[in-house]
Amino acid sequence: MKSKILIGRRTLDRIDYAVFVIPAILFVTIQMYIPFIMSMYYSLTDWNGISPNPKFIGMTNFLQIFQGDTGFNSALILTFKYTVLFVIITNIFGVLLAIALDRQLKSGNILRALFFLPYIMSLVVVGFVWKFILVQGFDSLGKATNIGFFKMSWLGTPHLAFVSIVIVSIWQGVGFYMVIYLAGLQAVPKDLLEAATIDGANAVKKFFGVTLPMLMPSVTICVFLSLTNAIKLYDIIVSLTAAGPAGQTASITYDIYREEFQNNNYGYGTAKALILFVIVAVLTIVQVTFFRSKEVDA
Amino acid sequence: MKKKTIGKIAFEIFMVILALIYIYPIILVILNSFKTNRDLMLNVLGLPNKWIMSNYIYVWNYMDYSRLFLNNVVVTLIGTAGIVLFSSMAAYILSRKKTKLSWLIYLFCIGPMLVPFQTIMITLLKSARIIGLTNSDWGLGIQYWGFGIPMAVFLFTGFMSSIPKEIDESAMVDGASTIRVFFSIIFPLLKTITSTVIVLDVMWIWNDFLLPLLMVDSQSDTRTLTLAAYSFVGTFVTDWQYSMAALVLAVLPSILFFIFMQKNIVKGVTAGAVKG
Repeated sequence: MKSKILIGRRTLDRIDYAVFVIPAILFVTIQMYIPFIMSMYYSLTDWNGISPNPKFIGMTNFLQIFQGDTGFNSALILTFKYTVLFVIITNIFGVLLAIALDRQLKSGNILRALFFLPYIMSLVVVGFVWKFILVQGFDSLGKATNIGFFKMSWLGTPHLAFVSIVIVSIWQGVGFYMVIYLAGLQAVPKDLLEAATIDGANAVKKFFGVTLPMLMPSVTICVFLSLTNAIKLYDIIVSLTAAGPAGQTASITYDIYREEFQNNNYGYGTAKALILFVIVAVLTIVQVTFFRSKEVDA
Repeated sequence: MKKKTIGKIAFEIFMVILALIYIYPIILVILNSFKTNRDLMLNVLGLPNKWIMSNYIYVWNYMDYSRLFLNNVVVTLIGTAGIVLFSSMAAYILSRKKTKLSWLIYLFCIGPMLVPFQTIMITLLKSARIIGLTNSDWGLGIQYWGFGIPMAVFLFTGFMSSIPKEIDESAMVDGASTIRVFFSIIFPLLKTITSTVIVLDVMWIWNDFLLPLLMVDSQSDTRTLTLAAYSFVGTFVTDWQYSMAALVLAVLPSILFFIFMQKNIVKGVTAGAVKG
């Protein structure tokens, strides 16, 4: 009798276990794993969305990409340059803003909110807002002030259009990193800063000697977050430059979209997409291992 | 002492001016949404000569704004609710029954965080069509479950370890079922992390662009706000005054959400980042 109840209890436990985990497993499988496995298969085919039976062509797509795909290569370079600039500049400004707003200001809360505001807006809308500023706004400013800076074609030449993408992304995202740094600054002991002041350290010395070392955990988090976000750059390009002029400001993600939905090279585009996956996966795994080793230290 | 206060005031004024320059693009868009086309073309930077509401009325009707708003609410609500429910359930049992199987399921659930959306977008479109999750807002909402669960399981599992096992064990001894224990005792205790997950997911789903573009863009009655703003600005290329009103209408809900939820948003973003 007793053992029967025990078995009953165990079966019940198993049913409970299943009820709790199956929805998560099911939806992740449907949305992520099945499409991912399909992608792996289609990257080895000449799928174009028209022929019902795509032909299996082995590694041909990958070989073609590695032998030199102009669109993909320039997108890779652009994304790399963008990522480096975005990560460095956003984090520097994020730290500076956080330090400035960590002071006891009367308008502190409002100021924080204003700098954070662009972050809650959809990136597509942000791109359009800036398109208006860079086209109409700068045109008027140029006429009113006669300053050359405003008269340049900020979206019309590939180089300046790239700079615009970087600036707009930083404008949208810096508030987010500021907020994380503000939280990190709470861990900096105020008495340590006061002691440094008494010892005659100036602001720069205090920053590099006391604040920055204490802020390092936040820096690591922010660098990696900005890194993984930067690699996936897409929405801003769609509305700000539409990869223009002449398709020269396409990021990797934009190039994949273009290959799949504009050129209808589904199989070939999927191969590019898998290369992006490898890049992101490697970076993320490096990041996780890095965090793990840090946790052991602490 | 006096010198210090003056310095402080000067610094504060400097920061206020900086902040105003920073959000000037937004202010400019709002100002221009109240201008006539002629006024906008001749006078981009100044105040409207005459404040007009007709751009908003035109855009509101053209876009069918109330419909779009409702669509966004449906998608965001279904998406967020499912993510929170299924992730917290899985995280609960996975962190309470620490077996090898649980560890494997955990890895299986969080693994997809490695996969960028573009890697699977076209095969996803194919499979979503087969299952019938395209061309409807509830279908789009459901699709967010699979995308949101990995991060949410990660956050919930991290938080679960802070809830003592004794709490649910004593309730179990009293004969309560696992489901009852979870919903009446554990889930309320997860409030902090639940609000983090909600904030992150609402901001993401509400503003998302590419997934809605692929799944619900073909019919106008299933479009989301961001999609409508995108196609609107593309259509009215030279009518900036309409585009300005469309952009303001598109971000207004986010801004209101931010104003009322500012504390929660900032807390949620910080917690999500630090734990993620």
